[in-house]
Amino acid sequence: MHIRKFDFDFSRRAFMEKSAGILGAGVLAPLWPLIAHGADITKAYPDELLSIEGYTKGRIKTGDLITADNVELVKDLLDPVALKQVKEMGRRIRIVASTRDVTRMYPAEYLEATLRNKGKARFDADGNVVTQDGKPWIGGNPFPEAKTAEELYANLSLSWGRHDNSTYAVRDWEIGPDGGQTYQYDFVWVEENTTGRVGAGGPYLAGMEDKLRLQSVFFTSPADVKGTSYLNTWHYDQRKFPDLVGYLPAFKRVRKFPTNQRFEPLVAGMALYLSDAWAAGDPMLTWGNYRIVGRGPFLGAVSQNWHGDHPNWEPPVHGGPKGQTFFETQMELCPEVIVVEAEPVGYSRAPVSKKRVWIDVRNMMYVAYVTYDRRGDVWKSFEPQYGLYEKGGAKVLDGRHTAWSWTAVQCHDIQSNRMTRFVQAKGVTGGHTSGYNREGLREKFLTEQAIQRLGT
Amino acid sequence: MSIRHRAARFALGNRALVLIVMALLTAFFAVGAMRIEVRTIFSDLFPKNHEFVQIFRDHQNFGNPLTLTIMVKRKDGKDLYQRETMRKIWDISREIDLAPGVDHDQVLSIATEKARYTVVTADGIYSMPIMDDAPPTTEAELAEIRRRVSESPAARQFLVSADGTAAVVNATFIEHLVDYGELFAFVQALVAAQEDAAHEIHVAGWPMLTGWVYFFGADTAMIFTVTLGLMFLLLALHMRNLAGIAAPVIVSAVSAVWGFGLVGWIGHPIEPLLMVVPLLLIARCFSHCVQATERYYELLRSHGDKHRAAELSLVSLVWPGTVGIFTDVAGLLLVALAPIPALERFALFTGMWALNLIPTSVFLTPVLLSLLPRPKNIDQLVDGNGDGEQGGPLRRAMRRLLLGCGHLATGGRARFTAAALIVVAVLAGYEMMKIQIGNPVEGSNLLRHDSHFNTAVREINRHFPGLMTLEVVFEGKDGRIVRQADTLGTMQSLQHCLESGPTPPTATLSFADYAPEANRVFNGGNPKWAPLDPDDASAAAAAGALMVGTNAKAYLHITDFEQKNGTVSVWYSDNRQATVDAALVQARRCIAQVGAEHEKFRIRLGTGVIALQQSINETVSVYHWLILGALNLVILLGCSLAYRSLAAGLILLVPVNLANVFLTAALALGGAGLDVNSLPILAIGIGVGIDYGIYLLTRIWEEYQAAKGHLEAAINTALTTCGKAIFFTASLMTLGIAPWYFLSELKFLSDMGMMLVVVMFINMVLALLVVPLLIHLFRPRFLESDLSALSENVEAPAAGHRITMPGL
Repeated sequence: MHIRKFDFDFSRRAFMEKSAGILGAGVLAPLWPLIAHGADITKAYPDELLSIEGYTKGRIKTGDLITADNVELVKDLLDPVALKQVKEMGRRIRIVASTRDVTRMYPAEYLEATLRNKGKARFDADGNVVTQDGKPWIGGNPFPEAKTAEELYANLSLSWGRHDNSTYAVRDWEIGPDGGQTYQYDFVWVEENTTGRVGAGGPYLAGMEDKLRLQSVFFTSPADVKGTSYLNTWHYDQRKFPDLVGYLPAFKRVRKFPTNQRFEPLVAGMALYLSDAWAAGDPMLTWGNYRIVGRGPFLGAVSQNWHGDHPNWEPPVHGGPKGQTFFETQMELCPEVIVVEAEPVGYSRAPVSKKRVWIDVRNMMYVAYVTYDRRGDVWKSFEPQYGLYEKGGAKVLDGRHTAWSWTAVQCHDIQSNRMTRFVQAKGVTGGHTSGYNREGLREKFLTEQAIQRLGT
Repeated sequence: MSIRHRAARFALGNRALVLIVMALLTAFFAVGAMRIEVRTIFSDLFPKNHEFVQIFRDHQNFGNPLTLTIMVKRKDGKDLYQRETMRKIWDISREIDLAPGVDHDQVLSIATEKARYTVVTADGIYSMPIMDDAPPTTEAELAEIRRRVSESPAARQFLVSADGTAAVVNATFIEHLVDYGELFAFVQALVAAQEDAAHEIHVAGWPMLTGWVYFFGADTAMIFTVTLGLMFLLLALHMRNLAGIAAPVIVSAVSAVWGFGLVGWIGHPIEPLLMVVPLLLIARCFSHCVQATERYYELLRSHGDKHRAAELSLVSLVWPGTVGIFTDVAGLLLVALAPIPALERFALFTGMWALNLIPTSVFLTPVLLSLLPRPKNIDQLVDGNGDGEQGGPLRRAMRRLLLGCGHLATGGRARFTAAALIVVAVLAGYEMMKIQIGNPVEGSNLLRHDSHFNTAVREINRHFPGLMTLEVVFEGKDGRIVRQADTLGTMQSLQHCLESGPTPPTATLSFADYAPEANRVFNGGNPKWAPLDPDDASAAAAAGALMVGTNAKAYLHITDFEQKNGTVSVWYSDNRQATVDAALVQARRCIAQVGAEHEKFRIRLGTGVIALQQSINETVSVYHWLILGALNLVILLGCSLAYRSLAAGLILLVPVNLANVFLTAALALGGAGLDVNSLPILAIGIGVGIDYGIYLLTRIWEEYQAAKGHLEAAINTALTTCGKAIFFTASLMTLGIAPWYFLSELKFLSDMGMMLVVVMFINMVLALLVVPLLIHLFRPRFLESDLSALSENVEAPAAGHRITMPGL
């Protein structure tokens, strides 16, 4: 039933009143009690915020494509880079139904931990998240009803992939300013949280309570980078930079490297910086001036983006000068995102002046991320796609449950017009495959000996 | 009734309609004029088909001309390792990152994170920024920076001068984002804020040069005002009546609106350097209008009726005026033969503008004159008997001068005059052959020698390897060639060959220079590990090591973002033509020595400032002749058809080509070179200069017909009537253009103004002397034929009724 009282203007007014950030999520009713009771979030939002038809008064329907012809109708729902991509560069976005069952937006165990541990997190004197008794975090979003920008960012920072461990077989394409493919990499990204774990083994890896995560990346293709491996050890203290060791096969030894140069790409030819990863690629407390700058509906690629029907899960591409700049993307109307800005206060020479991040309140995951240069001009976007890993009869499990994860990312340097886009593939060169919560991952991929072995 | 009579009758019979149509068209073009965009498109300044330009387009990051170089120099004898100097380098490096259009990943100085030194420890490799997170303040910190610079070979050679008194900040810009005017203002403010008694700041690089052109280009409005004011004053002094002043002013304004409007609607940006050419076209319009007005006065004096006089003046001038404009149009449009996009746009813009002089100047002028009040001073303006004795001393002197031309061109003296002219022409031709094609100066010939920009270029060249590079591109066929042993080995061989040649460069740089250092560092730091094993695995390892923790953009000057192509950068101390020629000879020799074609890559010469400069020069040297040849051909065809005589066409072409020979010889004698800027001037010189010949030739023919075959009398009468008009319009043009020389801070505009004045003057003198001389010597048959359609007569000569134009 359409209740006129709760039309879009009502929602807008409600968001304006909440923009100070002191209220929790939800317009008609608080969101989290509904989620906690397994209820449909429909009760939290009016129809105008849960369907594109409602928002656009029927001019755009679920299943329609957003193109240059109709993007003006939803221009307030896209970040500035995505808007430019659609308006000027031939990008198309398909609208899918808004997700009302929030369990489809989390790995199941992470959601359970979030609900289980709700209300147990606080910031200590240094600004790190701890439990009420001062211990490292114990899993799930520490602040599911985040009311401050710092709380929102803590949700992004403490667990990137939201599984205890993840193996991402990544296939990456670099698209140059002329729209042509300039390079292609295959690499594997492995991450394992040492604290804040949500599995049966408890929240901490024994002996690693002072760390946040171990994360390695190793390249498997092309031949000139094959075997190059890095291992990051992230401290729990978010004021500290991670420790980095690397292995270059030709030199046959593991070396330490500095890690305070965050505004540099992972490898040659990529548009994204280390700082951009997960919208939280740097230790949280090396950034500052976190603030909430807005709330409202938004279009996010948060569901139906897994291409399990492709043998390697690779999405079709389109747009740009040569028809290959953008991944096919499904976006839904997210009823409420919170827009957070932060500044790189810990980097005196950062070329970035701020980042702006749109965070979906349903799962506290970012749906859009844009950086600005020091002149205040839009510079780069890091646009993720997510989804539950099921399509037709195909399904991927993260243990007992259907996996939820990111599926693809587009990182677009809009100034030099370079696009880095990569997909979480089924597998990449070298026989590595994507997967979650695997046993023995640390020994195989996350030690100095392991990266040395991977490079040989 | 001929077509010209019908056209004139229609125009004057439907004045309201003509004015409404003209007004509507003017309004339409006025809207277009609002959309005009004056800006430089850097890549459009180069010949699009030239091999060097193709390579530049394929590899724009190598020797990227869109790089700004800011040099901070201590001028009090101290070195730069002082607290305040370090602070300045830090501040400039941070501030320039705020400049519009800057590529944030390509700002490089000892204060940026990309300038690094490497520390090797037992367990790690720490490639750290030379400056920490803040500029040094204590003596110990300053000493540490000095030490770090000494340990960074790249910083030592390219970022800090050998004498330790200067440092540079390099910033590269993204072409589609940069606004040169905005950038220039930004940089100027930055320089003003940082310069003080102990420091001087020099800024060079193409973006700055363009910025200076924009800055001085702002003077164009003032030059326009002065020029138009002078022309207006001269016109007012000459005419002393409303109609004679208002008609040329209105017509020129309408023509200008049409000219600018068309280009506005087409959407082509106008190169600011060439913005003065429209002024030349306004002067041309003035000149055509004055001729039409003078003709109208004569007819008005004869007929007494404004309407009839205007109609007849249109009848009389429609063909000579159109032929004259045709040559202008041909001269301007043919500039487009040079395959340089900026010149192509210029040719279209100015050519179409010149073409609009036919409806505006030829047709609108008589319509306006017929509507404006009858002048009261018509008797003073029109010298009825044509003996010239009614005028003052100036007129009498002019008459004697013109008769002097006739004296030299006729009778027995003609042969001696011809012989003297041939001798002078041969001498000038000899001098002309010595003309240097290319840049004769260090820096830019667009600006004066002592300009800030050229001073900056010299100073930076003096302290650093230089701003002028030749890039020898290693273009990959397969894979990332800078990670392959053959590439690195060939680069080193090429560099060795260049550095050991007879004209060694000031420096060379390639990826092969960095790889050994990476190899040494990753192998533990011992110098014995610097040389690479000659296999791909070692090359790939060294390249991979270089990229650890850094951005590929830090190496964009030597390998592209994906490392599929590389370059050997070769620095030279200046960009004088002799340096450029020697550099190219050496590069070709060394490429032949190492072999251009390899399995995984090919070596292409080249890009960079030196190659781009040469691409223009080679284009100028080829197209200079092609354009002149085509122009001669088109004008020969056009004029031969108009006069129905090949001889007439040839007679008209001789003086204008002679004028070009003299001008080029004058340039050679003055030490100036022929470059892309002088190319349009030479074409315009012919197109515009030939008008004088057309008017004079037509008049001589008329007078010859009237004088029953007495050629000498015909020549003298033509010279003292039409010659006088030529003298006046040439003076008008000269007065209009001459102020450019004095008013513009842009050397280019000064030179252009001076060249135009000189070429117009030479054209005038040669038209007055050579056309009568050739007619006298060869007595062409067309003198006897019926050219009434082309003549200024309003009736056919056979009818016996003829109206002369003694006032001209």
